[in-house]
Amino acid sequence: MKRGLVVLDPAEIPEAEWRQRIDRVREQLGAEGVEVALVYGDVYRSDDIAYLSNLCIYWNEGMLAIPVDGEPALLTKLSPRVHTWMRRTSTLTDLRSGKAFGALVAALLDERRPGTLGIVDASLWPTALIDEVGAAAPGWVVRPLEGLVRQFRLQPSEPEKSLLRQAGAVLAEAATAADGLPGQEKISAAERVVRSGGFTDVLVRATPTSVEITGQYRNSWLRVARDASLAERLREAVSTVGDGVRTGAVRGARVVHHADLSTDGEYAGQSGDRVLNAGEVVVVAVEDGGAVAADTVLVTNSGTEVLTA
Amino acid sequence: MTNDLQERDLRHRRVREGMAEAGLDLLLAFGPGWRRENVRYLADARVGGSAAFVALPATGDPVAYSTRRQDIPEITARGWVTDARFLDPAEPAGFVTGLRDSGARRVGIAHYELLPSMLLNLVREALPGAEIVSATAMLDNARLVKSEWELARMRRSAKVCAAGWRAFVDVLEPGLPEYRIVAAVEAEIKRLGAEDNFMLIASGKDEVRGMTPPSARLLETGDMVRTELTPQMDGYWLQICRSAVVGRASDAQKRSFDLFNEAVEAGMAVVKPGITAHEVAVAQNDVFRHHGYGEYCTSQYTRVRGHGHGLHLDETPIIEGNHTVLPENAVFIIHPNTYTPIAGYHVLGDPVRVTADGCEVLLETERKLFETNEVNA
Repeated sequence: MKRGLVVLDPAEIPEAEWRQRIDRVREQLGAEGVEVALVYGDVYRSDDIAYLSNLCIYWNEGMLAIPVDGEPALLTKLSPRVHTWMRRTSTLTDLRSGKAFGALVAALLDERRPGTLGIVDASLWPTALIDEVGAAAPGWVVRPLEGLVRQFRLQPSEPEKSLLRQAGAVLAEAATAADGLPGQEKISAAERVVRSGGFTDVLVRATPTSVEITGQYRNSWLRVARDASLAERLREAVSTVGDGVRTGAVRGARVVHHADLSTDGEYAGQSGDRVLNAGEVVVVAVEDGGAVAADTVLVTNSGTEVLTA
Repeated sequence: MTNDLQERDLRHRRVREGMAEAGLDLLLAFGPGWRRENVRYLADARVGGSAAFVALPATGDPVAYSTRRQDIPEITARGWVTDARFLDPAEPAGFVTGLRDSGARRVGIAHYELLPSMLLNLVREALPGAEIVSATAMLDNARLVKSEWELARMRRSAKVCAAGWRAFVDVLEPGLPEYRIVAAVEAEIKRLGAEDNFMLIASGKDEVRGMTPPSARLLETGDMVRTELTPQMDGYWLQICRSAVVGRASDAQKRSFDLFNEAVEAGMAVVKPGITAHEVAVAQNDVFRHHGYGEYCTSQYTRVRGHGHGLHLDETPIIEGNHTVLPENAVFIIHPNTYTPIAGYHVLGDPVRVTADGCEVLLETERKLFETNEVNA
């Protein structure tokens, strides 16, 4: 559960880049003839919303509405009491609270002539919520927009890469701090280092020989895992990752894109013929029984840069 | 039979009674990543997948499914559900076949309201023609009354709450950023075995209006540092609400504490089997109204006067208008947390168990306004 540092710092991600992210989505909506897109997130899976606004869904659910020709608006069932904090830590200015998403969507669409309403990643939306939104949009055509925001998250920008490098160094330090400690002490040591490093969320899995640390730093997720018995196999797996490599060609390893790490890639599928491109960030993991070793790596034109070294 | 298996049988019997009343021949307890309490209730297993189910038929053995392979041995190791299977959303044939074999005609889904369309479509594909209804309220109701087995676990959570609060107070000093407080608390409660934690915080003086995730704000002398700290142990969440002052408390901060403590005690005083959440909230709010601070009990400033606890941290809300009856062995926190102009947002509260003739406070931590001068003296 998210309980670490939440911050919006223009020195990290410039204002122009936030604007550009929304503009790219709006261009896509225009190309597809969609007037308004809705992005849904809950506290477990909310990276698309964070990517577009820096808003952290730290509790419950939220919905980001993006008109093709206007400013994005957050729809939330949390009361307006949280608006002050949300404004302070996000790029959003239009925050709307209400008791039900349906009523919030109805009020939003009431400002416009009926058109097409896009549901981003509809397959992951609760059916009950799709029904509620559909009922709130009479006269509108409702259609899915699978992966619309995720596609833009696949290749981090230069400022994001800088944050990923900072975060990777903290995770590596945490893995070292946890090394050799008994189970709960291992988890405790990792938590102390990672949260002191300013992570928003941390998940630690410990076995007698391994420690796996998955963390969210700002809006990106990374993973490191260490087990001495698997160190060589991990090095070999990482060495085979590169631009143009098919994920299935990384023998004995599981490759999860960082854009899917909050759900461990479970909803993205593990297709073996997905081709990696320079600029993407993936987690490469090898497992044997309960032992696990993993690194987060940036795919480059000439190979990889290990972010969690 | 071990206590664990007696508890399992008690739950399965309780849920099956509800299923019979609702005419269900299959219950699907669904657990999305952020709401896994019903899966835990039926499997007593800590799962980590993006989606998990326990399928409990009206008769016969339950089957569990998870989208994370690591969950499978975790589930079977507990022994409550011995048949656990991997659910791959990209290759869901095993899940579909498993459900199809149940032959269910009327299916209740707990957390139906959160079930992704891709997973509901699989259920429909497996059981074409079956009637599918929400069983969320049924499971909420089953979980409301805690058994002695559950209360023993919640008492362990109470010990971790107390330890977390001690770690919180111990680290406070001018110049410390808020998020470093969380780091210290997390390290301590994880050392003690906490699985997870929900935590809100706010630091500052009378300008503080509400609680938030931690920021990079640096503590100053005279700040009141407030927290809702909610560790999870063995599946069970329990919350402690306290405020501490960096240095010595001002007269206003002390007056604020007295007001909030009076409200907590008023809430506790009315607790007994059969009381409603509404009545517990009214008792607390009447204290604020009596002292002329009634407007700060409205939704403009605060949400609830507490909430239920258990396998989910925020069960039935203690709020005026919620007429849910609280029976013996229900567990909830009484916290009148809100803003007042006396000293800003104040946080104070304890979890209680409804007893035959009143309530049992589950925390041993003293209810007072902590001052770091005193702690570090």
